[in-house]
Parts: sequence; structure tokens; C-alpha cells
Amino acid sequence: MAGGLAVGSGFVAFLTVLGIVPRLTQLTKTINRIRHYEWAVVLGAILGGWVSLADTIFYLPSLILIPIGLASGIFNGMLAAALTEVLNVLPILSKRIGVQEKIVVLMMAIVLGKVIGSLFQWIFFVDL
Amino acid sequence: MENILYIKMRHRVEVENKKEIKVEDIAILVGPEPLIREVESVVIYHIIPEDQNLVILDSAKLIKAILNSKPNVEIQLIGLSQTIIEVIIKRRTHSLGLFIIVWVLLFVGAAMAIMNFHEDVSMQEVHQKLYRLITGKNISKPLIMQIPYSIGLGLGMILFFNHFFKKKFNDEPSPLEVEIFNYQQDLDQYVIMHENKENIKHIHDH
Repeated sequence: MAGGLAVGSGFVAFLTVLGIVPRLTQLTKTINRIRHYEWAVVLGAILGGWVSLADTIFYLPSLILIPIGLASGIFNGMLAAALTEVLNVLPILSKRIGVQEKIVVLMMAIVLGKVIGSLFQWIFFVDL
Repeated sequence: MENILYIKMRHRVEVENKKEIKVEDIAILVGPEPLIREVESVVIYHIIPEDQNLVILDSAKLIKAILNSKPNVEIQLIGLSQTIIEVIIKRRTHSLGLFIIVWVLLFVGAAMAIMNFHEDVSMQEVHQKLYRLITGKNISKPLIMQIPYSIGLGLGMILFFNHFFKKKFNDEPSPLEVEIFNYQQDLDQYVIMHENKENIKHIHDH
């Protein structure tokens, strides 16, 4: 119970610092539904905690994994983008080499790097 | 009464190979028309090569220059109290080679960072476990969820920076634009304090 409290509050603090939920509500203009988003995070964490500890098996078709994979990827992508490394590196770097207009191209380098690095890892690297 | 002159200094001005800075270059003047015409061409500062590319002119210098040429004017300062002058010696040339190096650096760095992250959190095991959890079958490479995951990774980043859906959703600035603005603001703050030597008075400077 005590361990759960500590981990749970730490998890929420982590999400708050990164600001993914505010960013999503800002994008979709659903600030009045933020209560429901909180519950989505809480329920997701509880479900994830349950299934990773108990050995539940659902016996569902594997196609269901496609939307799950995509959603977890988008979430991780937003996490990666929200990390301060990207947010701090890009402005300084683009100013140093004087390419403020091409900052989108530099951002695409990071995005493509993440996608291709990840694909490479799953398809080839894990076999090594 | 007709001698009141309201002055609003500009935040940042770019000048190109200009030897002298006039009042009209760095400030917006409001007041009686004849007075403005008289004051706006007053020269405040001569750019010398030692200035390099940044000069700070503050309101004290501006008011002093105006009062020197027209003593009986009452000046009301509104808004900022200094202007950053950026002397553009030559247009920045975009070096393509440097750009490509940085691009490759970011690309490889991002790829390595995400692979290390996946190893760090044992994502492969989590995916294998998740595959077994949903389907009940053991598989060493659950690519059916890993490929959508990888694509989602890129989509999530783009979504966060909101570059492609900008028109669709709203026209608020993206987090990156805010970050660039903050960085520029910090730089401006720094040069305002440090380029303008009059701002700091040390105890031993007699």
C-alpha cells in the first residue's frame, strides 16, 4: 500500500511535469473534460499494474495489438518530444548555425531518427 | 502643454551598414507634428567597428540626445527603456554542409537515444509479455504491435509540436516556438545587462 502510494504519486508528478495531458487538451480544445482524462490515466495505470502482476490472458486475436501498439507509440512519441532535451537543443542549435527557418527539417531528423531507430531495433537488433 | 513628447522605444532593431542611429530608428514618437519632425532626425549614436554586432541604447542616452538638440521639450517614456540594435555586417550564409552534419547528428542521436531507452526499460520483454497477455501465444518478435508502435512514436512527436495540424486545430504557438521565444528573451536580457556597461557600477570603479 505504501509502495503503491509512492509510485502512484511519482507517476502523476512525472506526467504533470512533462505536460502531455495539457498539450492534448490544448490541441483538441477539450479543457472542460480534463477530469475524464485524469481518470483515463488513473484507470490505465491500474489496468497496466494489474495485468503486469497477475498472469491474466485474454485469448483475443492479435490484430487488437495494432491499435494498442500505435497508441502506446504516440504516447511515447509525445513523451520523447516533451523531454527538455529536444525542446532545449533545437532552439540553440538552430540559432548557432543560423537556420531558424529550417527548424522543421531539423525536427524531422529527430522524428525520423526515432522511427527508424525503433524499427531497426525491433526487426534486426533484437536478433543480434 | 504642446511640448510633451511621448516616446516608445523599440525592442529590437536590425541595421545594415548604417553609420549613425537616429531617433526615428529606435523609437516611436507621439506628440505635436512639428516637434516630431524636429526630433526624429536627431542622431543618437555612431556605430563604430568595435561595437561588433550588438549595441544597446537606453532611454537615458535617447533623452540626453533629444534634450541636447531641443532643451525645452518634456519627454514621457512609455514602454521599454532600451533598444537592442543588431548590426548586420553581412547576411548570414546558410552553410549546407554544416546543416547536413547537424541533421545527421540529430538523426543518429535520436535513433541511438530511443534504442537505449528501449533497452533500458526492457521494452522487448514488455512487448512479448503483452503479446502473450492478449493472444495467449508466445512469440519472440511481436512485430504486429512493434511496427505500429514505431510509427506512433513519430506521429506523437509531430502531434506534440503540432506542425501539420496547425491550421486544423488552432493557431496557438507550438511548444517549440514558445521555447525559441524564451531562449531569445533570455539572450536579450543578457545583452541588455552586459553590453550596456552603464548598468553595472562596481565599487572600485572610480
